[in-house]
Amino acid sequence: MLKIRNLHAAIDGTPILKGIDLEVKPGEVHAIMGPNGSGKSTLSQVLAGNEDYEITDGEIILGDKNLLEMPTEQRAREGVFLAFQYPVEIPGVSNLQFLKTALNSIRSYHGQEELDAATFMRLAKEKIKQVNLDPAFLKRGVNEGFSGGEKKRNEIMQMLMLEPRLAILDETDSGLDIDALKVVADGVNALRHPERSVIMVTHYQRLLDYIVPDYVHVLAKGKIIKSGGKELALELEEKGYGWLGIEDSANA
Amino acid sequence: MNAVKKFPEALLCTAPQNSRLCEALQKLQQNARAQLDTLALPTRKNEDWRYSAAALSHLDTLSNNSTGQGAAEAASDGVSGYRLVLRNGLWQKDAGELPENHLVEVISFEQLNESDAALVSQSTLYQRSDLPFAQLNTAHFSEGLFIRIKKNQRLDQPLVIQYDSEDQGASYPKLFVLAESGAQATLIEEFTGASGETPACTVLTNSVTELRLQPQSQLTLIRLDLAGESVAHTGLTLAQLQRDSRLETHCAGFGGKLRRHDLKVALAEPGAECKLNGVCVTLGQQHYDNHTEIEHIASHCNSEENYRCIAADSSRIVFNGRIHIHRDAQKSNGAMNNRNLLLSNDAEIDTKPELEIYADDVKCAHGTTIGQLNEEELFYLLTRGIPKDQAATMLTLGFVVELVYQIPDENVRTLVEQKLEAFIHAAHV
Ligand SMILES: Nc1ncnc2c1ncn2[C@@H]1O[C@H](COP(=O)(O)OP(=O)(O)OP(=O)(O)O)[C@@H](O)[C@H]1O
Ligand SMILES: [Mg+2]
Repeated sequence: MLKIRNLHAAIDGTPILKGIDLEVKPGEVHAIMGPNGSGKSTLSQVLAGNEDYEITDGEIILGDKNLLEMPTEQRAREGVFLAFQYPVEIPGVSNLQFLKTALNSIRSYHGQEELDAATFMRLAKEKIKQVNLDPAFLKRGVNEGFSGGEKKRNEIMQMLMLEPRLAILDETDSGLDIDALKVVADGVNALRHPERSVIMVTHYQRLLDYIVPDYVHVLAKGKIIKSGGKELALELEEKGYGWLGIEDSANA
Repeated sequence: MNAVKKFPEALLCTAPQNSRLCEALQKLQQNARAQLDTLALPTRKNEDWRYSAAALSHLDTLSNNSTGQGAAEAASDGVSGYRLVLRNGLWQKDAGELPENHLVEVISFEQLNESDAALVSQSTLYQRSDLPFAQLNTAHFSEGLFIRIKKNQRLDQPLVIQYDSEDQGASYPKLFVLAESGAQATLIEEFTGASGETPACTVLTNSVTELRLQPQSQLTLIRLDLAGESVAHTGLTLAQLQRDSRLETHCAGFGGKLRRHDLKVALAEPGAECKLNGVCVTLGQQHYDNHTEIEHIASHCNSEENYRCIAADSSRIVFNGRIHIHRDAQKSNGAMNNRNLLLSNDAEIDTKPELEIYADDVKCAHGTTIGQLNEEELFYLLTRGIPKDQAATMLTLGFVVELVYQIPDENVRTLVEQKLEAFIHAAHV
């Protein structure tokens, strides 16, 4: 599904990612943990195609295609989805219009017919209920005036609508209460499929109780310094990052 | 130094005065005419015209031989309500449709009774020397319409005032709207005409609309500037609000070669309130100048103003928002916000808030921004698979749509949204 080799990325001339190697196979769930500022969001943004970051070395292959050669919107149509750590508010663009345009451009990329208004509405209402948001939110501006938790649930709702092959969740669990956390986890689990993969960036092992990862990686100072199974997350929760020889600022 | 530039010949008065107007109005008109011969066109040195003086050169291509051809027709753009049609500034009594329920009276200035005539002729309009185009209107207007919305009545449908112009010459529509005590109405001023593109301005619409809101009355004015490229438009809306009255304006301005709207609101008595919304977009070489002025004269008045402008290509927009809080206007509340979007490096938006506050117990907030499309918002849309051009269109529309949604008439909302979409497709985003 996804192969990242020796990835180096910089922003404004400052190197942030310093040689990342990661392979995610179809159906796998990978968790990425690590201290604040270690480059987790940078990796997520680079995967989604944020052009603020300069790729200085390495490659990213999705399926058999070179992801780095694709513009952001094409990556999305190829099935990459990023749930943002800080989803942006777009007043004046309604959620409905936004979702419909997104879904239909992805569908037409795959040679599928655009959904008619009624079918789309049915689908949107079904998915928004699935994440426990009031359907009235569909008419509001994208994330406009949403609380932190509502924004995160809206990200999951979009993911459910667009059914990506590779979902990258950047701290979708941060700042959620237990109920909302379950909603998010149920959403991700509903999407799990032998042909779909998930990368979850998180600081907290509690998410991993609900979405059990196949692998856990620790990212520090722009490199993956340790990988393991789900036990690694427990170990990190208990001992912090200090025992890995890095400064422990994860709980900051 | 250049010689002082006068109003072009096509705008000088040749027609005789309308002898059926009341004496006071005839006198005012004579004064205005006498001054017109020597009245200089505003220049860049005139602060009020700093950014628009150059665009006045478009008046040079006007000619005064209007053909008087063509019958007036109700515009078929989906805006519905009662309808008053003016063609070249003159009331077309057989076009349009007025309410039969006597909630509203439309009277030619020729037929005003004494007290109405006094209201009209004693307007502050005639004491102002800072409005050269209003003076031009006073010099020229031949009829003038008085609209009365009767006491404690609520107009059940909007009253559409359609200003149509033919393809040559200047017109000087003049309106005086009196909302009597406790009356409620929505007026839609629709400026149409000359849809084709011509290289030069051939038409000038020089309009003056006065609004007088008596105590407790509520008036909503929707002003749609939709005329074609070859129509120059200099318009003044002058409102005076009495005790506890409320005025809401929604202006939608689509550019032409020369467009200027002066909106001047006087909160003259305690408890008066105004909300001024405006959306203005330009493309190509268009020019649109919005000058608004809110005078807090009495205490306990509220004003709120929200303008959003988008300039594309090499067009230019001006927003000048003045709030003047007089010494006795304690407990005034004012809020002004102007946000602007530039869609190209060659476009220009000049925004200037002007606050003059002479009372000490007031709240007055203002904010202006000029920006390009927000990169973060754009990226978010792209990550969902939305093509770049479509994403840019959505964001551009979204920028003004918030204000469009506040227009309290569904047909107008739809029309404005369509016009905005057409604008974005025609502009080079
Ligand atoms: N424009 C920039 N110029 C220089 N450094 C930057 C810039 N933007 C971000 N950084 C740095 O890049 C590093 C990685 O940031 P990133 O957001 O990827 O961390 P993170 O692992 O997601 O952290 P967190 O857990 O707090 O979300 C940080 O040290 C940050 O300060
Ligand atoms: Mg982060």
